[in-house]
Amino acid sequence: MPKLRIEAEVNGRKVDRETEPHKRLLDFLRDDLNLTGTKEGCGAGECGTCSVFVDGKLVKSCLMPAGKANGAKIETIEGLAKPGDLTPVQRAFHKTGASQCGYCIPGMVMAATSALRENPQADIEEIKERLGGNICRCTGYTKIFEAVEIAKGVIAGTVPETALEEDMVDDSFIGANVRRLDAPSKVSGRLKYAADMKLPDMLQMQVLRSPHAHARILSIDTSEAEAMDGVACVITAQDVPGTDGFGVFVHDQPIMARDKVRHVGEAVAAVAAEDLVTARRALSKIKVEYEELPGLFDPGEAMAPGAPVIHDYAQDNLIKHIPVRKGDVAAGFAEADLILEDDFSTQQVEHAYLEPEAGVAYVDPDDVVVVISPSQNISHHRHMLAEIIAKPINKVRFIMSPVGGGFGGKEDMIYQGMLALAAMKTHRPVQLNFTREESLIASAKRHPSRVHYRMGLKWDGRITAIEFDMLSDGGAFGMSSEGVMRKAAILSCGPYEVHNLKVDTRVVYTNNTPSGAFRTFGGMQAQFATESMMDMAAEALDMDPFEIRRVNMMKVGAKTHTQQTLETASLDRVLDAAEQASRWEKGAPRVRGATRKDLNGPDTRQPCTLGARIKKASKDSDESERVA
Amino acid sequence: MMTNRMKRGRGMAASWYGIARTATIDRAGAWAELDDGGTGKVVTGVTEIGEGILTVLAQVAAEEMGIRPEDVTIGDNDTSRAPEAAHAGATRQTYMIGNSVALAAREARNALFEEIADHWDVPVESLRAFNGELWAEDTNLRMTMEDAVATCKGRGVVPVGSASFTAHGTGLDPVDGSGSPWQAYVFGTQVAEVEVDTWTGEVQVLGIWAAHDVGRAINPRGVEGQIEGGVVQGLGQALMEEYTTEKGHAITHGFAKYILPTSLDIPQINCSIVEDPDPKSPLRAKGIGEPALVPTAPAIMNAIYDAIGVRIKSLPATPEKILEALRNHVPGREQIAQSARLERAEAARHQSAKA
Ligand code: FES
Ligand code: FES
Repeated sequence: MPKLRIEAEVNGRKVDRETEPHKRLLDFLRDDLNLTGTKEGCGAGECGTCSVFVDGKLVKSCLMPAGKANGAKIETIEGLAKPGDLTPVQRAFHKTGASQCGYCIPGMVMAATSALRENPQADIEEIKERLGGNICRCTGYTKIFEAVEIAKGVIAGTVPETALEEDMVDDSFIGANVRRLDAPSKVSGRLKYAADMKLPDMLQMQVLRSPHAHARILSIDTSEAEAMDGVACVITAQDVPGTDGFGVFVHDQPIMARDKVRHVGEAVAAVAAEDLVTARRALSKIKVEYEELPGLFDPGEAMAPGAPVIHDYAQDNLIKHIPVRKGDVAAGFAEADLILEDDFSTQQVEHAYLEPEAGVAYVDPDDVVVVISPSQNISHHRHMLAEIIAKPINKVRFIMSPVGGGFGGKEDMIYQGMLALAAMKTHRPVQLNFTREESLIASAKRHPSRVHYRMGLKWDGRITAIEFDMLSDGGAFGMSSEGVMRKAAILSCGPYEVHNLKVDTRVVYTNNTPSGAFRTFGGMQAQFATESMMDMAAEALDMDPFEIRRVNMMKVGAKTHTQQTLETASLDRVLDAAEQASRWEKGAPRVRGATRKDLNGPDTRQPCTLGARIKKASKDSDESERVA
Repeated sequence: MMTNRMKRGRGMAASWYGIARTATIDRAGAWAELDDGGTGKVVTGVTEIGEGILTVLAQVAAEEMGIRPEDVTIGDNDTSRAPEAAHAGATRQTYMIGNSVALAAREARNALFEEIADHWDVPVESLRAFNGELWAEDTNLRMTMEDAVATCKGRGVVPVGSASFTAHGTGLDPVDGSGSPWQAYVFGTQVAEVEVDTWTGEVQVLGIWAAHDVGRAINPRGVEGQIEGGVVQGLGQALMEEYTTEKGHAITHGFAKYILPTSLDIPQINCSIVEDPDPKSPLRAKGIGEPALVPTAPAIMNAIYDAIGVRIKSLPATPEKILEALRNHVPGREQIAQSARLERAEAARHQSAKA
């Protein structure tokens, strides 16, 4: 392969290197110069985790060919401050808690630095606009805004440097705003996530994924791929030595597709090779013969007679049904003055952690299979992997690398098994880094759900009965579905004492992208329906929404939907707190937006029109460039 | 300022949530050591996924050991080198691992206190330690934790501790679902203020007031961070995010198609932290990771209704959906439907009264 020569200044040092012509600036920085503070969150210019300065301009390095950096002056997160030191922007991020998982943070610090270099007087609206190209999935941006404002003040000299220091602690560390201990490593880009790790002699893995939603695998021919120069091994389900199958509740998911594929993007085979390009080329040499099967895409059709069967063990496609019963629902409805009945639905949602799945596996000198990955559940993963690779449990070791966002999406062992198998087959370290697209199509989502709801109430707002029926799409594998249905059922009717209820939550298999654990685990889908119903009831009964909730709320001694007696309950307090803090104007929820007096307070932001806010940048301040 | 085009409204929603694993016993283990220099070492099986638990654990260990959070080292999460602490999820880390670290650190501190009390010849109950200093109450006996550890080790004792914390959830009855799935519950309420552009269907959330019970806020700023992050994920689900497939093929296979909230979508988020201490655990803290997200979407939908009189029952409330709903919207129709329902309920009641 012809080489590309790059001469550039990187973080103040001269760099003169040969590299492969296909590389992006991002690859050159990360792979060739080991500047891994610059992250790849999407590879498509959409997230900003790869932001660097090229000749002083903020640039997304995933979009720039490495060759274009020739002769340029490049500054990365590692170069903002001297080693061991932090800039005011970085210190402000530390101070306010602006970094959570930290994966977006190097890019965010670069964008914030750029904003203040471009306009040291930028107001908050302009700062927001200038950060608009950088996604953060963890923080809700609020602490980031706060950090940029403090940094702006410190740089301009209008805020004392002490603003960057830790708050004083009185007589206890409990209840104190201790600064995050992991923030310096995150704001400086020093923290190594799994994709940033490099082990000597490490292979790169790539995964062949199913193009079909539902198909029988007739044959897989890996011989041509295996014969390629630079390919260390190809693995398929045939390489699994133990009992294949993982999942949080039911172990219905093989490490790689076995006999059939059940969703688009399911892993079918994997290659470990000397480098990424060879691994990718080898994938195209694997021949898989499929026989397509009828697909099932609507959960409503999953339980109908004659529907395609996704897993043999579940002929009715039902993963789990959780019933909750309390009191006498018929009597409760008979006693009602008002009965509301409606349907609600929620969509499939992606976790969108900024760190795509990544991991490294190796076999250590004592024959222990070691997997390093941002797993949210290393204890369970080692149990399952020990079964799958037929090893005693102490010969399987899981290490949790820094997690660049999880939200439940990294609880499933969807790739660690492949890494382990390849490491065992080659006795070399193997690394797999998902692309964003792979992450999107292969990882679990929030369960899409449909709820049919009936609620009976008295004129005074008391709920007399609830019937709650939820159907969720579990997708191709069980993953966390059972637990999600359980939590949805337990929390279903909200924080209200309901004496008569009938709750059913069901989740079924389809050939859609699997659903799994996602922050609230079914709780939000269920309570979205309940809280909508509560407002509809309040409107019908001419009651204030806080009031109708107070009438029904669980108090100490209340019996929950699952008939547990509550020993503490704080709904009264949070209702009061929210009502007071928001200066809520009492009244029934009858479209009174036009007349209410509590709007547009100092604790709201102004509405915005895109692009209207970047003021003319003041370019004359060279000094700010140096300190920012 | 409020034109016919732009309509504002407010809505609220309440919520509840259980802490730690659901409908099962939950457990977490930790080891602790008071180390040279008056520092601390803590090892447990699972920690940070971004929420700030490392710092919370350091605060907890420091408080128990009488040292400073920055002097606490937390070991790696490694199934071969650390005790089991199960998983990072279920809003369980502060509750399960926090309490387990508190108990382990307390045990290490007690081992040290025993030695120092003997060394000073004072009752062990009179000893206090905080922020790197150790003293005996009502005396002028005082030393640094660095000296205390050296003294303890000089007497032949390494001050170590270990603990396991249990939460006693029970399974659900397979028929009626009865059971006690959690030993700790939290509650929350959020208010949303929105502006709806009735020409484009675009909804902007301008303010969120989020009141959440966390038991006890170990790190209030961290709690706010969790609330803010949860609210914005809730906002994303309410208004824009939708993973879409067609016959199983993803349409939204990149962030150009899968729309996420950015800095321009963020309302002012006003947090109210409510502390209703957990009576069943030494720390008395509960959790906030997941519950913060629960009421956001319904509060926003209730606010949209308040603004424009259409109720979005199918998430997300995209501009297209809002416009479509507005096109089909007959002012007062909801109210008419309601009174029809009331009449039906009345009739049903008469019937059942007769029967
Ligand atoms: S914008 Fe470059 S990796 Fe996302
Ligand atoms: S801290 Fe921003 S993505 Fe995690």
